[in-house]
Amino acid sequence: MNEHPAGRRLYAALQLLDRQILDADAMMAGKVDDLEFEQPSDGDPYVSTILSGLGALGPRLGGRLGRWLTAVHRRLHPDPEPGPARISFGVVKRVNNHVELTLRRDELENNELEAWAREHVIAHVPGAGHAPE
Amino acid sequence: MKKLLGVTLGILTAVGGFLDIGDIVTASVTGARFRMSLAWAVLLGVIGIVIFAEMAGRVATVSHRPVFDLVRERVGARLGLANLLASYFINFLTLAAEVAGVSLALQLASDVNYLLWIPLVTFLVWIVIWRVKFETMEQVFGLAGLALIVMAVALWQLHPDWSSLWHSASHPEVTSGEGAPTYFYFGIALFGATMTPYEVFFFSSGAVEEHWQRSDLILNRANVYLGFPLGGALTLSLMAISAVVFAPMNITVEHLSQAALPTVVAVGKIGLALILIGFFAATFSAALETALSSGYTISQYFGWQWGKLVRPKEAARFHVVVLVSLIGAALLALTAIDPVKLTEYTVVLAAAALPLTYFPILVVANDPDFMGDKVNSRLSNALATGYMGILVVVSVATIPLMIATKGGA
Repeated sequence: MNEHPAGRRLYAALQLLDRQILDADAMMAGKVDDLEFEQPSDGDPYVSTILSGLGALGPRLGGRLGRWLTAVHRRLHPDPEPGPARISFGVVKRVNNHVELTLRRDELENNELEAWAREHVIAHVPGAGHAPE
Repeated sequence: MKKLLGVTLGILTAVGGFLDIGDIVTASVTGARFRMSLAWAVLLGVIGIVIFAEMAGRVATVSHRPVFDLVRERVGARLGLANLLASYFINFLTLAAEVAGVSLALQLASDVNYLLWIPLVTFLVWIVIWRVKFETMEQVFGLAGLALIVMAVALWQLHPDWSSLWHSASHPEVTSGEGAPTYFYFGIALFGATMTPYEVFFFSSGAVEEHWQRSDLILNRANVYLGFPLGGALTLSLMAISAVVFAPMNITVEHLSQAALPTVVAVGKIGLALILIGFFAATFSAALETALSSGYTISQYFGWQWGKLVRPKEAARFHVVVLVSLIGAALLALTAIDPVKLTEYTVVLAAAALPLTYFPILVVANDPDFMGDKVNSRLSNALATGYMGILVVVSVATIPLMIATKGGA
């Protein structure tokens, strides 16, 4: 990582927040639901972590809907007090219409629900492994 | 031929959007009650959907981002979530109505009670989504929907008094014996049906599924400029044949079978066969559009992998949402809830949510960061801004009108 990890100046709220994340295979891998900043002692703050999934969106939205999303996240997560899924900004390859990562989505923390739905529901239906013809 | 087949996405979207179970009956009802004096509402809706579907398709083609992705980014996560809940709810009710609608079309053909058809219809919708390639799906159902052109033939065969039909369409007035609120309520129902949001959810997602590139922008235009006006012309034909056959006799239209009657009177057995195929294709297309849209909207809001291009295993949550929505909708349809009433209400509810769907499309279509040199022209911005005004008025007026007229009773 170089001295200026942010590299580019972005209006975080406009150009990162709520944007689609794509993994290394260009598969959709969640949204940028919230961001974490780091403030170095000698410089501008920079984005250090992308937070993604219901555990990030719920607290950000707040209110009744937000609490409800957070509760769903807690209910579906194996940990009793789960935090939001975190993606280090270091694995971001490019930011354009989408936020592109260098990792595959099975390596991300926010992929648990997708993996669960695949293994426990969809994989059991005949034809799940073939593209439609 | 390949070029000719390229416009089936637009035809499928329009036929499934304008001529779903509720709209077939609504167009017949308005023809019988108001003759052609509400034709302007269909025309206004068709121009509106052409403007915004072209924009949504262009945005999807250039930026590879479908409508609900934009909704969240542009109106914000919170209002976007409210829109998602409203859109999903409306979509779900419409899906239930369409499943019942396809079954009603089969009942007309078979005399077997429609409730018995519901499980089979649900399974067929699901298997098409699960196994059939997007392109094949749009070609088969888009082309089958063209059977509805028989309604235009029927209008010709009925030898109507064209000048009187034209006069009724070009000099709109509240028909005697009907109240002004009822007249405008049906106006909104027709307008809302042509601009119903699941059309742009489906159309823009379809453009992404078909991998449209910049060079396909002309394909986008061809789809929009052919498909939607064709759907509008079919709606107007249905309204006109209903006006010619039912209005002089003061017959009230309430059922799908009645909507088929003028065509059978005019064209005979072949007319009956074609209209049944057409009704089946149109309601089935609407069921496909709403079932897929339920998965599209939720997945696009939360950023999950969606679509029919990848193996179902790779879009697991998308397919779970579609499957659960379909089963839920089938159960609702099995309660014998009246599908015609149900879509009449959902169309009006959808009208109230229209600005939230179309505003983000307009904003992003003007953003050079996404669109490069393919941003809106001044003309389309001027038209679209005018329509935003109309949509806001409609969305404010729609629910009070629904309550005041007791749903157009």
